[in-house]
Amino acid sequence: MLDATTIILTLIWGVAIGSIYVLLATGLNLIFGVMKLVNFAHGQLLMIGAYIGFTVWSIFGVNAYLAIFFAMASVAIIGILVERFSFRRVLGEEKLNEIFVSLGLILLFDNVAVLLWGEKSKRIISPFENMSVLIGELSISYDWLIAMAIVVVMLISLIFLIKKTKIGLAMRATSQRQEASMLMGINVERIYILTFAIGAAMAGAAGVLFGIIFPFNPYIGALPTIKAFAIIILGGLGSIPGAIIGGLLYGIAEQSAVIFLGGIWRNAIAFTVLIIVLIFRPKGLFGEKGE
Amino acid sequence: MNNKLLAGIVVVIVVIAAVAVWQFLPSAPAPESIKIGLVAPYQIPVGQDMDRAARMAVDEINDAGGIYVSSLGTSLPIELVIADTENANPEVAVTAVTRAVIQDQVDLLIGGFSSGATLADQVVAIENRVPFIITGASSHLVTRRGPQANYGGLPEGHALRIDDAEGMSYMFHYCTTTAHYSRTVAYFFAEAMKPLLDSEYEFDASRPLRLAVMYRDDAYGQGVWGDTKRFVEDDNLPIEIVAEKNYPIDTQTFQAELTAIKATNPDAVYVVDFTTNSATIYRQGQSDVGLNSVYIAVECCEEPEFYAALGIWGDNQLLESKFASYAGPPFYLEMMNTYVADYQDIYNTVPGMMGADTYDAFYIAKDAIERAGTLDKSAVRDAIETTNMDQMLIITESGKMEFSTEAETYHEIAPFTFVEQLFYDEQIGETRPLVIWPETAPGVGTIKQTDFILPDNYEPGPP
Amino acid sequence: MFNKKQIISLKGSRKFRFLVIAIVFSSLIPLLLNDPFMIHVLTLIAIFAVYTSSWNLLANSGQGSLGHAAFLGIGGFTSSLLAINLGIPPIIGIFIGASFSAGIGFLIGLTCVRLEAWFLAMVTFGFSVIAETLVSQFDDVTHGVMGFRTPLLMPSGLPFYYFALLMAIITVIIIYLLMKSKIGLAFRALKENSSEARMIGINIAKYKLYAFVISTFFAGLAGSLYAHFLRYINVAVFSADNSFKPLMMAVIGGLGTIEGPVIGSIILVSIDSFLPNIDKYLQPVMSPLFSAVSNVGPPLRLLGLGLFLLLVVIFFPKGVASIIKRLYNYLLKQFRE
Repeated sequence: MLDATTIILTLIWGVAIGSIYVLLATGLNLIFGVMKLVNFAHGQLLMIGAYIGFTVWSIFGVNAYLAIFFAMASVAIIGILVERFSFRRVLGEEKLNEIFVSLGLILLFDNVAVLLWGEKSKRIISPFENMSVLIGELSISYDWLIAMAIVVVMLISLIFLIKKTKIGLAMRATSQRQEASMLMGINVERIYILTFAIGAAMAGAAGVLFGIIFPFNPYIGALPTIKAFAIIILGGLGSIPGAIIGGLLYGIAEQSAVIFLGGIWRNAIAFTVLIIVLIFRPKGLFGEKGE
Repeated sequence: MNNKLLAGIVVVIVVIAAVAVWQFLPSAPAPESIKIGLVAPYQIPVGQDMDRAARMAVDEINDAGGIYVSSLGTSLPIELVIADTENANPEVAVTAVTRAVIQDQVDLLIGGFSSGATLADQVVAIENRVPFIITGASSHLVTRRGPQANYGGLPEGHALRIDDAEGMSYMFHYCTTTAHYSRTVAYFFAEAMKPLLDSEYEFDASRPLRLAVMYRDDAYGQGVWGDTKRFVEDDNLPIEIVAEKNYPIDTQTFQAELTAIKATNPDAVYVVDFTTNSATIYRQGQSDVGLNSVYIAVECCEEPEFYAALGIWGDNQLLESKFASYAGPPFYLEMMNTYVADYQDIYNTVPGMMGADTYDAFYIAKDAIERAGTLDKSAVRDAIETTNMDQMLIITESGKMEFSTEAETYHEIAPFTFVEQLFYDEQIGETRPLVIWPETAPGVGTIKQTDFILPDNYEPGPP
Repeated sequence: MFNKKQIISLKGSRKFRFLVIAIVFSSLIPLLLNDPFMIHVLTLIAIFAVYTSSWNLLANSGQGSLGHAAFLGIGGFTSSLLAINLGIPPIIGIFIGASFSAGIGFLIGLTCVRLEAWFLAMVTFGFSVIAETLVSQFDDVTHGVMGFRTPLLMPSGLPFYYFALLMAIITVIIIYLLMKSKIGLAFRALKENSSEARMIGINIAKYKLYAFVISTFFAGLAGSLYAHFLRYINVAVFSADNSFKPLMMAVIGGLGTIEGPVIGSIILVSIDSFLPNIDKYLQPVMSPLFSAVSNVGPPLRLLGLGLFLLLVVIFFPKGVASIIKRLYNYLLKQFRE
């Protein structure tokens, strides 16, 4: 029953599904890398992004993929407000307070979404709905392919931003030595806002892609957060390549568990892989050694 | 003992005394309203549908003068008390129902969602002798775990059994159970789909229909699928089960399961899940995996959400139903015409099936209280037990709303379910259903609207 | 483990005074309230006080768990299954459940002691997911999918309340004495700075493991009480909600304090139990504003709760316990003058 084609197709789907998680995980990891903050409400930003994309698409008739830009801009602004009015006030004191803030934000965002958009599932329909390509045994919809391409483009732009621009340099400096960068005249607060905005914008983009590929309702944020968090732990906190490899590995582990052990094991296996990796590499695959 | 400690204790006693005085101040006046508790999960989309239907029923009844209680010689309005079970977590559900029963002192409970939460929270109603018309838990155990139903087949000493016969008599089940869903789907495949395949593809009559199933791994999924298998085996239906795939309830990506199912070449795929997941499976199966088959989902997917999430991917696919709110107007039941129109007027959305059960249950409650002529809970229970009204929004096997007192179906109704085929409507960007099977329904006559056809892209299994 | 001096030092301290007052208060209040729903809420508070205190003890050693629901569930399932299958009386079963939970906690602890904050958080969270999967996969043994009715530990109402209260008091006292002892000092050192702790010769792995075992013992005890109190258990006990609750309660009460978890349990359980009463007032006033939902009560209430939580942690990052302490000192000062 378990023929080679099924296994290969499953691996390909593992990569495809993993790449959607990567976008969220990278944003989360960027924020962690610079601010040492884990935002558990990151999935809620994805959810809000999906709803903003939905609103722009359904009311103004904007193309589903162009809606990504609106979602990114709006979620970036929301991200700035969140950073300014909640996280900044508890930053660097007690890690558990930061988680607590995230939990408060989750309640806030979920219920604002219920009040504004209702509780029923929505979908964003792309112009390529109902179109797939057949590559050998593999049938894949245009929307998945476009989503993967967008993820790749966004990751390349992000890496370019970090490696080649002044802002990126300042972000890297802040992530390594906060006090030193302040002495060097870097406005750390501005870098924080910028980082959070970029991370949020990526979540917003992921939200629209999510909304094109899956139906969504106000409560969908929780699961992607957990997966993204697992991925950055797997890959190594603060490491962008770690988030990418971690995301793909997570997707593959989850999908292979389905065919080798049965679907019910998918989450458990993904976390077992995570725990095993941490036993051998306590800082994740690409995590930095030592303090 | 030092002085400060003494002072502290004095403060405590003063506070307690104050609280006690405040507690004993309000005394119980004569009832000004009939309190009906709605047990609904507001953090699950279906909760708001139950709320809308309940609100509509209550407003209608109150606008018409309320419920006449002969022992008080007056009509009382209904006061809706919400027992919010949030995401149907058993702890929250128990606390919510305890609050409704003990603090708000409801006269009756309606609703419930999720078998797990209901099996936990109904105990509060059982112990406090509050009539509970359960409209949203599919496990038959909610009325059959007591002695009257021989414990619903639970073995001796099983922990779900409840020995309190008196308490169990307050439980009523106005809802389809896993057995109801399963029977319709199994017989649809055997009696409608297999003959069509045989004639279309010249299959041998001895070739069984190749059925694959995807079910969510919880009490609901396991219950539906277990019962379907039982019908296939016990009734010797010509169905071969070629794949069974279960998955955690929070799954969003089903490609691996569907790929594995495709490798088994099924004739049809039975999807046992709720609205969003079912729609996702239809979609990923066709667009991502190329599993071009006939998909059928369970009756509880008859909600606006399902159609919205499905989009074009439902075209020519199937849905089991007991309340075809999209297959009209005009509808097969006269009452549905007004209900669906009113609901759309007020809430600007099409009603779902969870709300329909809830709406009917409020009228059952009204009828029972009026016949009982009192708010005494045991009298109301006796009246509910002898309910004999014409069917309203849900078709039943007898055409009447009545609760069985037989051991095998204790305090259940006998709802009738049927199968719809969905057709894409470009104007609205969603599919709309037509009833395809069976021909007729009890007390209604013909319900079939069109013939079942195989989808254009349909690929059957091997001969 | 504790010497006489510590116990004597407990007596006469301010904490001791608070403890006695709290015990007197919590013992008398249900008698006068005479309301079964109040007793239901008070019992839940006592159970969550045990649960949150156990979580807080672990957090005090620098290990913030995000998967404590695993141990709540293991304790609950163990005790309930022992009672229905082997007829072990729940009064014994709850301690077996707690010990079994501690045993599993020891094994998880072995993995966790090497990990730092976030990595540990994810491993514990992952473990609660794995535990949930195992319990639903071995349904023939656990009956976890459909769930089952747990046997009676104490008659519901006052007897159960007093039993849960007793457990809560014992838990709080043990944890208090523990934190005063050498072990507790080591825990604090770990939390403040693990590299310094290593330098002054504390065996980090050993103490982290101690914390894990003790914490999971009490979490298992809380889980057993929880299961026998609700008279029902299924896999929903492993939900992420149950893992995040002790964190919320501890932070809102006051992290790293003895009284914080208790105060936090009182606040959050009360909010969860009583706040839904405002839904009926919110609905008529607010519903015209939001046409997308039929009943605006539940989402508005939860939105308000989210805002409240944010405000508390932003303005009182040390929790409500710190406010009470400040208020007490202020009043004391006023009183003396």
